[in-house]
Amino acid sequence: MTTWTVVWMALPFFVGFSVYLLPHGDRLLALGVALASVAYGIILFLQPVSLELQFLDSFGVTLLADNLSAWFILTNALVTTAVIVYCWDQSKPDFFYIQLVMLHGSVNATFICADLISLYVALELVGITTFLLIALPRQDQTLWVGLRYLFISNVAMLFYLMGAVLVYQAHQSFAFEGLRGAPAEAPALILMGLLTKGGIFVSGLWLPATNTVADSPVAAMMSGAVEKAGVFPLLRFALMLDEFEPIIQIFGIATALLGVAYGLVATDAKRVLACSTLSQLGWLLVAPAVAGFYALAHGLAKASLFLTVGQLPERDITTLRQQPMATALWLPLTLGGLSMSGMPGLVGFGAKVLTLDSVLPWQSAAMNGAAAGTAAVYAKFIFLPHTADASAPKQAPPQPGYWAASRLLLGGVVLGSAVHLEAYTWPDVAKVLAFLAGGWLAYGGLRRSLRLRLPVVLEEMDHLIGGMSVMLVVLFWMVWSWSMA
Amino acid sequence: MLHACVYATILLGFFGLIFKENLVMKIIAMDVMSTGVIALFVLVAAREGIRTPIVSVMTPRNFADPVPQAVILTAIVIGFSIQALMLVGVMKLARDNPTLEIREIEKGYRP
Repeated sequence: MTTWTVVWMALPFFVGFSVYLLPHGDRLLALGVALASVAYGIILFLQPVSLELQFLDSFGVTLLADNLSAWFILTNALVTTAVIVYCWDQSKPDFFYIQLVMLHGSVNATFICADLISLYVALELVGITTFLLIALPRQDQTLWVGLRYLFISNVAMLFYLMGAVLVYQAHQSFAFEGLRGAPAEAPALILMGLLTKGGIFVSGLWLPATNTVADSPVAAMMSGAVEKAGVFPLLRFALMLDEFEPIIQIFGIATALLGVAYGLVATDAKRVLACSTLSQLGWLLVAPAVAGFYALAHGLAKASLFLTVGQLPERDITTLRQQPMATALWLPLTLGGLSMSGMPGLVGFGAKVLTLDSVLPWQSAAMNGAAAGTAAVYAKFIFLPHTADASAPKQAPPQPGYWAASRLLLGGVVLGSAVHLEAYTWPDVAKVLAFLAGGWLAYGGLRRSLRLRLPVVLEEMDHLIGGMSVMLVVLFWMVWSWSMA
Repeated sequence: MLHACVYATILLGFFGLIFKENLVMKIIAMDVMSTGVIALFVLVAAREGIRTPIVSVMTPRNFADPVPQAVILTAIVIGFSIQALMLVGVMKLARDNPTLEIREIEKGYRP
């Protein structure tokens, strides 16, 4: 298994650079890498014990592959496969596939890293390749948004590095466990870097604009896999070191509610999805122990939603309400939206119930609110008018690649519901249906009156960077007063 | 004293990132900040001595810690490649936004 892990880690980078030599095989090679990851993820599930690897020496690279990693690796692999299939006949340049494969590899690397420096390298690589993918259309807007992303993520990683060296100073080691017993500023700096990178709470407000402007397949990749690369280490910390779990959970709850609030007032379809991603990343953090399954449920549904929205003739929800869309596009949109809202029979139900069952009583009120809010956000898509009339105006038929990708993702959404059959108890089904009904009623009632505009000023670059210093102070206080006590 | 200087460098870089209006100045401020972080690694490496850690017949004492130095080398390479990438992006942006004022760019490209 050790050899396979190393081969699997190196494969994306090896293939990525080989594509330069074999530009005609770009799609096939990329697909091969993604399928290899699917296989590796499944094999990892079958391992009875988690795999711990230590290379070189006590100061070398440490890896840890367990069940949690397997869920995230599988999510990343399926989303990448879908994105490659989606782009199959879009004549994308080979550079796109090279970056996609490298991104896939670096996101996978973050899921099995177990020391601070390997994680740093993997996260920086994620940042660079994501920037290149966002900026690939070479328009000024995409370039600016990509540049902004790279800027913010690099500054966050500088803070992270400061934290890492303080951990080293205290323990002579970069292992994750070193966060315990290090001076309070070290965990504060590291957590701040990861919160920003993962798109959590106000530090994550770079996320809506970035996902809105990025091309649909890139946005699907970002929401489905890339942003989870920043969240995953936070989950590891929460599971490994109990004293940080409450801090991470509080940020999770705050993010879940913030994302829903932003999503409710957004009018651009892609922005609604991006804000919902923000909220769902919070859901991951609330219950770290069951986050793996939630990540898979979210990744599949969100990627299919982003790919579908990319096929719509219009992105403005107000316009979409007046122009009926093709039923063939409305169906995947509704299926994805229902899964995100936790409809029984789809993968989102099991994930939602597992998360809601494992939160503490004081947290469950906030999370119930967030669940109803999510249903209200997706009601925006579910209640859009649609027509089966193929001759409707302004409707280009979707590409064949879209159908294959959407079938793959939505097939996962339907089949995944079989994973947690024990979640199907009457009280839970009734609870989730109540959230759905409540969310839809709230949406119906508020739709006309809700003209609120949340300030976009917090999403400007200066404020995002300034927000980091505020978050740092808050985190320092939290770590110092809660975890050190 | 040295610690204070290093933290001052990091802080000054960070303030530059917030207060400078021009995109190129922001990138330079980021460079200042990353220089500060690199210096912090070097300082941590030198906390028990500054001698090069080479095995020899001499009694081992006052050796610098090679691990942070080795690690920061990776970070330096990553940092400068990111800066190069950013400067290329800024060059492209400057064609349509010759002043590179961040406020104007942000207003123009808001989705």
